[in-house]
This record gives sequence, C-alpha cells and structure tokens, in this order.
Amino acid sequence: MGQEGRTLILGLGNPILGDDGVGIAIAREIRDGWPTDPSIDILEAGLAGRFLLDVITGYQTVVVADAIITDEKALAGSIYSLSVDDLGKAVNPYASHALDLRTTVELGKQLGYEMPETIRVYAVEIKENTVFREGLSREVEAAVVPVARKIMQDLDKTVIGDQ
Amino acid sequence: MGKTITINPITRLEGHGKIEIFLDDQGDVSDAYMQVTELRGFERFCLGRPAEEMPRIVPNICGVCPTPHNMASTKALDYIYGVAPTPTAKLVRRLQYAANFIEDHYIHFFFLGGPDFVMGPDANPAERNIVGVIGKVGLDIAKQVIDIRHRNRDIIRLIASKPAHPEGGLPGGVPRGIKEAERPAIIETANLSVEFAKFTLQFFKDTVLANKAYLDLVLSDTYNLKTYYMALVDDNNRQNWYEGMLRVVDPRGKEVAFFHPRDYTDYIGEWVEPWTYIRLTHLKKLGWKGLIEGDDTSLYRVGPLARYNVAEGMATPLAQKEYEYMVSVLGKPAHHTLAYHWARLIEALQAAEEMQRIANDPMLTSSDIRNMNFQFTGKGIGCVEACRGVLIHHYETDDNGMITKVNLIVATQHNAAPMDLSVKKAAQGLIKGGKVSDGLLNMVEMSFRAYDPCLGCATHAVAGKMPLVVNIRDHEGRVLETLTRG
Repeated sequence: MGQEGRTLILGLGNPILGDDGVGIAIAREIRDGWPTDPSIDILEAGLAGRFLLDVITGYQTVVVADAIITDEKALAGSIYSLSVDDLGKAVNPYASHALDLRTTVELGKQLGYEMPETIRVYAVEIKENTVFREGLSREVEAAVVPVARKIMQDLDKTVIGDQ
Repeated sequence: MGKTITINPITRLEGHGKIEIFLDDQGDVSDAYMQVTELRGFERFCLGRPAEEMPRIVPNICGVCPTPHNMASTKALDYIYGVAPTPTAKLVRRLQYAANFIEDHYIHFFFLGGPDFVMGPDANPAERNIVGVIGKVGLDIAKQVIDIRHRNRDIIRLIASKPAHPEGGLPGGVPRGIKEAERPAIIETANLSVEFAKFTLQFFKDTVLANKAYLDLVLSDTYNLKTYYMALVDDNNRQNWYEGMLRVVDPRGKEVAFFHPRDYTDYIGEWVEPWTYIRLTHLKKLGWKGLIEGDDTSLYRVGPLARYNVAEGMATPLAQKEYEYMVSVLGKPAHHTLAYHWARLIEALQAAEEMQRIANDPMLTSSDIRNMNFQFTGKGIGCVEACRGVLIHHYETDDNGMITKVNLIVATQHNAAPMDLSVKKAAQGLIKGGKVSDGLLNMVEMSFRAYDPCLGCATHAVAGKMPLVVNIRDHEGRVLETLTRG
C-alpha cells in the first residue's frame, strides 16, 4: 500500500508575517532541494483550519510543516514532530479552532472521504507573528533545513516500513 | 473588589481573540471588551512596492477572507489606472464574487455559527461543532454542504488560480476569461446552489424559527443592539456586494447618508483608544461618542444584518421573497444580532441566483476581458461588501505607480465597537452575582460569533497548547482564580 499512496507535503503559514511563514519556507526548501518525486505533492498555503479538508482528502500520507507558539519559555526555533494523537493532547479539541486537524480527519471519515492514514506535523516554535515583514528570524531560519531533512528522512521510513 | 473574567481563546472562531469581562464588587458585569489580534505594519510593508502587486499581496492579510481583499484591491487599481473593466471582465469578477459568498456563508452557518442553534446553546461543547451538526442533520446533507463548497471553490480556482489566495486582479479586467466549454459546469453549480440555498433557509425556519426557545433568544433584549447601519446598494437601493453607493440608516431605519466610497473619509471616522490596536470606526459627522447604543450613538454595524437594514430589498427574485418574509417576522430595522445568521442565508440565495444569471449571460464567454486604455491617476479607493461587511482599500502612488499610502478598513474593524457592546449586553444578561457557567459563557460568545468576526493569524493547523482558560482577576490585574473548560 505504502508505495502506491500519494503524499502531500503541506507548508502552512503566512509568508508576509515574518516567522509565521516558516512552514512555507520548509515546503520550498524541500521543493528546491530534493529531486522531484512524482508521488509527492508540495503545497504551500495560508489556510484557515476550515479549509484543510479540501486539501488533505485523497492522500495516503500528509506531512504538515507549520509554525507553533507553545509557551513563553520555549526557545524560538525549537522543533516538534507530532502525530494527530499528540495534537489531540496538545489542543483542547473543543476549545480551540473549529476545525483543527484532528476534527478535520474525523469529519472527513464521517463523510466517507479518503482520509490520510498517516499525518505528521512538524512545527517550529516562533515568538511573534503579528507584524508584516518578509523573511525569518535567524533562530527560526536555522530550523528550516533540519526540518526539511527530517521530513524527507521520516517519509522514507514511512514508505519503506509500509504499514 | 472588581474582577476580570477572561475567556481565551474563543471557541469555534478561527484566529485568536480574547474576551475580557469586568465584574464589579457585586459580581455583576460592569464592562466587557473583545480583544482582537491586530496584525501590524501592513502599510509600511507595502510602501515602495508597485501598485499592481497589491491584489497578490492583500489576500495574505487573512486566511479566512482572501477573495474580498483581492477584489477591493483590484477595484482600487481600476481607479489608480483610470480604467473601467470591460462588461465581460465585470461578469467574471462578479461570478468569482458570488462563488465566494456562497462558500463562505455556508462555512459560517454549518461550521461556526450554526452549531449553536442546531445543537442548542446549552449543548455539550464537545458536540457543539460540525461533527455534532452532522450527527443531527445526517450525512447526506453534510455531503451536500461539502459538495456545494467544493464546486464554488472550483469556480474561484478556475478564475483566480488558487481559491485560498487568489492570484488574479488586473486593472481594467481579469487575467483569464471563461471558455464556452466551461459554462455548463458553472450553470450546474449555480442551479445546485440555488436548490441548496432554498433547502438551507427551510432548515433554518424549521430548526430556529419554529423553536420557540430559539426564537425567543433571537428576539431577546440580550441580543439586541440599536446602532446605525452601513452597506453598499445599487441604483435601486438593493443589495449589491460588488459596487454601488454606501448608504447609512439610523437606528430607526431612516437614511442619513448616501455617498460614493471614494468619499469615505468624510463620513467614516477612526478613533483610537489605549486598550485596543483597532481604530474604532464611527460616523464622523456625529463624532466619537463612546461605546453606547441607541439614538445617541455614533456607532454603525456592517455585514449581513446591516445589509438587510440598509437595502430596500434583494437584487434577485427568490431572495427578495425570503427578505420579505424576514421583514414580516422581524420588521425593519431589525437590531437582533442573532438575525445576522438569517440574513446571511438569504444572501447565499441571492449569490446563487446571481450566479445563475451570470452563468447564462452570453457575454460571459467573450474574449474581451481587458480594457487597457489607462489614464493614470495615482489614487484608488476600492470598496466591496465582504461577506462580513464593508471593505475599503485606499492606495496612493507616486508618478511611477509605486505605493506611497495604504489605508484599509475591514469589516471586523467597523464592527469592533458594536461587538464590545454586544458582548457586554450578553454578559450583563447572563452573568449575575459572579455566577458563571459554561453554557452562559457560550451564550456570551454567541453574541459576537453572529458577526463572523475575522481575526488575524487564522492560517494554522495547530493552535498550540491553548485550552479554554478563564482568568478571574482583581482590579489590579492579579489572577484570583483560573477556570479551564474541557
């Protein structure tokens, strides 16, 4: 199954809100730095959670690269690798966004859509995302290549390991 | 000792917002504010950039309503370059805009605002969401919602390349026309959208209007706010979301202003308060009178309820009938904040009928999609009705067309002060003697959710560790107690 399924690498964020765009930068790093793979689509988007169902349907594996703000003590540039279950623990499912990733998958399954078997979120800690500017801070920029590498390494594992 | 209750984050609203409720010594509400994350530095970001870049930049302002920003920006460019779009280009733009209204309004009704009614305001928060709604309305209806949205997003994608962040937007036209071969699918989508709009309105009548408890809630003083209203209207004072004149009616429904959007600075004042980054809009000729409602206020509202109150009718026949029924039930002007939901569904029907009309217009597929007879002016003010209300983009450029000034007024900005008042009224009616329960808090949230406020930063899959937290603070800001929902 694994090799036949399609993979989506989804870079989320706003590229003109400074570090908010780190997910987009990671998606671009993969697009530009790795050979084209016909089984992998790369999409960058500044999407509200309400639109995620539109883009993840039909993929077997979805990898999300995103920015995250956990708490004030966390260091900018810290990298998190999370499963949807982890997200369930991290985000109170009914006190946060209407359509967080987990709810989106649940919704898609109820509707009978083909939902991804595997979803992993790679998030980079950022400090600030309310001022319009282009480019990333040094700490966050430093995380882009390592996260891109980790995503591609983990994808190989997922594919070879076949679930 | 006064207390502050903070509800953070707001449930079922995308983006980050926070509500502060101040209690007096008796535990009753003395004041309430909704704080919106304000994105800053946009004007500085744009200075020195070519004006024609703006329609591609502005959709990034917001992950929720990129199409209206794109359209207001494109219209501002029309004025900067002194050029009107060709009739076909205008049809294509309006087709894209109708599709946007359909898909956006249904997202709000079924995913965000509607669950309060479909599941009930006191329902368990875990069920008061789209998944709970599906359990109630059934899978077939849920699939129709998704299908209608998909089809309308496909139309936006066809015209503007990407539905999330449209890339089109040229002065005097559109970058891509519609081919004859594409017409049948558009007609089919329009027809299905009309049928679905009729179904949804019936569903609303059966679920909300036929339920006395809900109707009482809609009509209650708690969710009533007397303000002025502002909206775009056409030559016959009917709803027009793409172009027209801005009309303002007072709390009694009488017209008090009628002006071209390019004159907005004569009519719209922007007031700065220390507790918010938002410049609070008000009617300039009345002056800033603070957060008050009634005949003495200078606050106005925008969005579906404002359009209902301002316009003398809808632009399409089926929507007009629904409008007349709403008038027969609520009268005019209707100050019932929860009636925003009803007005929104009638608009979705007008959008679908408008799409039908455009889809069958022979001019739609003409290749005459660009007017290049530029007469550069260096100044442009583009105004549309975004789904959430009046949206104004104002740009000025130097002689080379490079941006020297940007001013945007977005719907949530017009509605910011009224939303504070709505939250305060709901809180006053529902929190007494310091008694706060989960159901009560949600009903406070319902008071502003009706506006479908567009908050910044709504671009992520992961919100981080943000459970619903209620901080109760004393008057010096010390946390006395922290409550967590979940």
